[in-house]
Amino acid sequence: MDEIEIQKCGVKFDPPGIVVVYNEKCSNKQRRRTMPLRDFTKNTNVEKATQDLLSHPRHGKYVSLITKAQLVRLVTIVRDKLNGMSLEASLARNDALDKIDPEENLNTVDEETLKRKKAVMDKTFEKHQVKPDDPDFKYDVEVEFDENNVIESGWDSEEGSDMEF
Amino acid sequence: MAKNGEPDYDQVGDEGECKVKIICLGDSAVGKSKLVERFLMDGYKPQQLSTYALTLFNYKTEVNKQKVLVDFWDTAGQERFNNMHPSYYHQAHACILVFDTTRKVTYKNLPLWLKELREYRPEIPCLCCANKIDVDYNVTKKSFGFAKKQRMPFYFVSASDGTNVVKMFNDAIRAAVAYKNDSTDFMDEIMRELENFELETDSGSQTLDDKKDNVSESGLESSKNKDNDDDDSDVKS
Ligand SMILES: Nc1nc2c(ncn2[C@@H]2O[C@H](COP(=O)(O)OP(=O)(O)O)[C@@H](O)[C@H]2O)c(=O)[nH]1
Ligand SMILES: [Mg+2]
Repeated sequence: MDEIEIQKCGVKFDPPGIVVVYNEKCSNKQRRRTMPLRDFTKNTNVEKATQDLLSHPRHGKYVSLITKAQLVRLVTIVRDKLNGMSLEASLARNDALDKIDPEENLNTVDEETLKRKKAVMDKTFEKHQVKPDDPDFKYDVEVEFDENNVIESGWDSEEGSDMEF
Repeated sequence: MAKNGEPDYDQVGDEGECKVKIICLGDSAVGKSKLVERFLMDGYKPQQLSTYALTLFNYKTEVNKQKVLVDFWDTAGQERFNNMHPSYYHQAHACILVFDTTRKVTYKNLPLWLKELREYRPEIPCLCCANKIDVDYNVTKKSFGFAKKQRMPFYFVSASDGTNVVKMFNDAIRAAVAYKNDSTDFMDEIMRELENFELETDSGSQTLDDKKDNVSESGLESSKNKDNDDDDSDVKS
């Protein structure tokens, strides 16, 4: 969709909803659109609510211009509020969910956290993805990397490692 | 089909094909599912094993004129809490160990995955890959000692842009078939092809700089490391 460009997005608590401010290119007008989250309660599944918005016949085309990770974040903030969390607390929690910590073990986090982390990772994944309909696409991409001019990664030499070197 | 609806890999396929099972192991979110998806591309309908919430993908190919049916097994997240069901390992013929080059913890956990694998499948060929190199290609100028230490073929890959994914899976398939056919030198063969592999072992006290010197000299011709499977030093000085 080229005819609109999202400029801002945000949330509405009462009634629960997602708000986008966008520029309509043909008229060069700034518009605002509020999209209610229907039947949204403190127990609503965030993933499902996000999916419902994305497949909504009228709202879908607007929210699909926001990254999935950001949309999930907004929906989560609305739900946190319904759970009695302060905005500050919710923002802090969501910032933590959106951060990839190279030392954090994702084997032991809850389902919601893992989904959020994957949504953040998806951004880079999709940015670099070469798809079959891409003119540069090749199924078998073989690249040899020079093994002789390497430096130590530093990932082997640490204390507390299970490996012995 | 054996009990529980699981395929039985001791049977040959309907047309006499060789059936092999390949599994991926590694932490949550290292990209195991994306790698399998990239290799198979679209159009592969996974088969759900409802009993254990595992997914498997069938793939047909040929190795040395032999028809092969490959099942790639994927988890539905059981790697969380390091809680893989034994059926995941059962009858596997090859394993791909995956870590994420952007997250050190996933590399540090490789020995745990390998240890668990070896409890169930002490002998099967295992390959190792460093995924997500597209995030920062500079990572390919770095050395990761784990694979070399364990004498595994090592690949820098990206499920996102596709780098070396097909090569790695094809090597895994060849290794799986060779293992099933009781061939003894299958891993050496793959190793020899991957120039970066060094058959000699180093003593624990050596520095990595010393290692690097050995790489160029060691050559890859020998498969004698069979008798030398522990960590005894065998470096000619
Ligand atoms: N940039 C980049 N991201 C990747 C790559 N492979 C996987 N990812 C991302 O990592 C996340 C986890 O991948 P997934 O296949 O679900 O991991 P699994 O839990 O090991 O099966 C996904 O959200 C992907 O977007 C890759 O090669 N490059
Ligand atoms: Mg997965």
